[in-house]
Amino acid sequence: MIKEIHMPQLSAKSSQYFFGNWSKEPGEQVKRGDILFEVETDKVVSQVESQEDGILKEQKVKTGETVTVNDLVATIEVSEN
Amino acid sequence: MITIPVSSHDAAQIFALEYYLMTEKKFTDTIFMLWSTTPTVMLGKYQDAASEVNLSYVKDHKIKIVRRRSGGGTIYTDEGGCQFTFIQPTTEKVIDFSTGMNLIVTALAQLGISVTIDGRNDLLAKGRKVSGNAQYLEGNYRLHHGSLLFNTDQASMARVLQVDPLKLASKGIASVRQRTGNLQQQRPDWSATIFRRYLKQTILEMIPHSIYHLTSADKTCVSKIKQRKFKSPFTNKPFSDQFSCSKKKYLKGVGLLQLSFTVKEQRLTAIKLTGDFFSTLEPKSFSTALVGTTFKPYPVFQALSQVLTATPIMGLTAETLTALIFEQQDN
Repeated sequence: MIKEIHMPQLSAKSSQYFFGNWSKEPGEQVKRGDILFEVETDKVVSQVESQEDGILKEQKVKTGETVTVNDLVATIEVSEN
Repeated sequence: MITIPVSSHDAAQIFALEYYLMTEKKFTDTIFMLWSTTPTVMLGKYQDAASEVNLSYVKDHKIKIVRRRSGGGTIYTDEGGCQFTFIQPTTEKVIDFSTGMNLIVTALAQLGISVTIDGRNDLLAKGRKVSGNAQYLEGNYRLHHGSLLFNTDQASMARVLQVDPLKLASKGIASVRQRTGNLQQQRPDWSATIFRRYLKQTILEMIPHSIYHLTSADKTCVSKIKQRKFKSPFTNKPFSDQFSCSKKKYLKGVGLLQLSFTVKEQRLTAIKLTGDFFSTLEPKSFSTALVGTTFKPYPVFQALSQVLTATPIMGLTAETLTALIFEQQDN
């Protein structure tokens, strides 16, 4: 099953973030709690962790792009179990 | 709270110490450090040095450049100011500037220095920025560090942060330019050294604390982290395996060349060449011929030779264009 990963709200002040580095590449195994990517907002660099176990299928955002809260950033293939 | 005396004035060393404390030492109490640097430019994690810093001035004046792991803009620091660091254990991955900034504001007030917090988490005195603050979250720690300008060399700061208007717009985080000031205006009888001493003393009087002295083993670990993560703001590219670069150069007999390219996993993933040179070269075919090439001088030279043989640019050789692509303008 494919799960969509959307940009979470990290700051009360802003809903737009500078997308930083990916920590996982498509095809890579991802565990719950693994860092998926980094974003910057309001002079803070934050790491976003996976809430799923599975395999990263697609990165929908590139480093340097602006993302808004709830934007689709990645898909993860999770086990049916 | 734990306070750690910092004797180094090397920002890279101190950033490495911060990272060491968060990733290896892992104290369970909040850490506070007060420190200062030799003349240094500190870049935010996702900033492009060439777009933010007057690199030739920095090089001529032997000013250090170091990249923080925190966000925000570029700042200039010297012995006329100081930096503070708070490292707080937290399981909540939320931004919080208020704890550290309120402590600094209260301590400054006790020293007779009045500042206000603005919306960007800066401190202002009489409308001028006297402190910038940034954060990053690493594991179960939140790091908040900030600067305080006491009698920082404002002329040097202006020169360092004066960017060549010819530079192309950065793809990274751009600094927000603000008018800056020095806190010494409110305490003209104090030197920066006295200011730092009183500030540290005041903060430590406000909060029960213990003192931790770094051991030689700690220092060895910190030095290794410095070499690995903070040695150069240029080799330590903000986009790890990916970086973008823009160059603009006038070549006699050729004209103005504007070149921008992106490299990911050591391969060109995008390249654009424009300018006022004479050629029938189509930007798209130039890009198509180069994208995918290994980002090393010889493969790039070979690809450029083929393109320029098919569609020459008057006065321009593949050797010259290769040299421009690999020119170390950052250093």
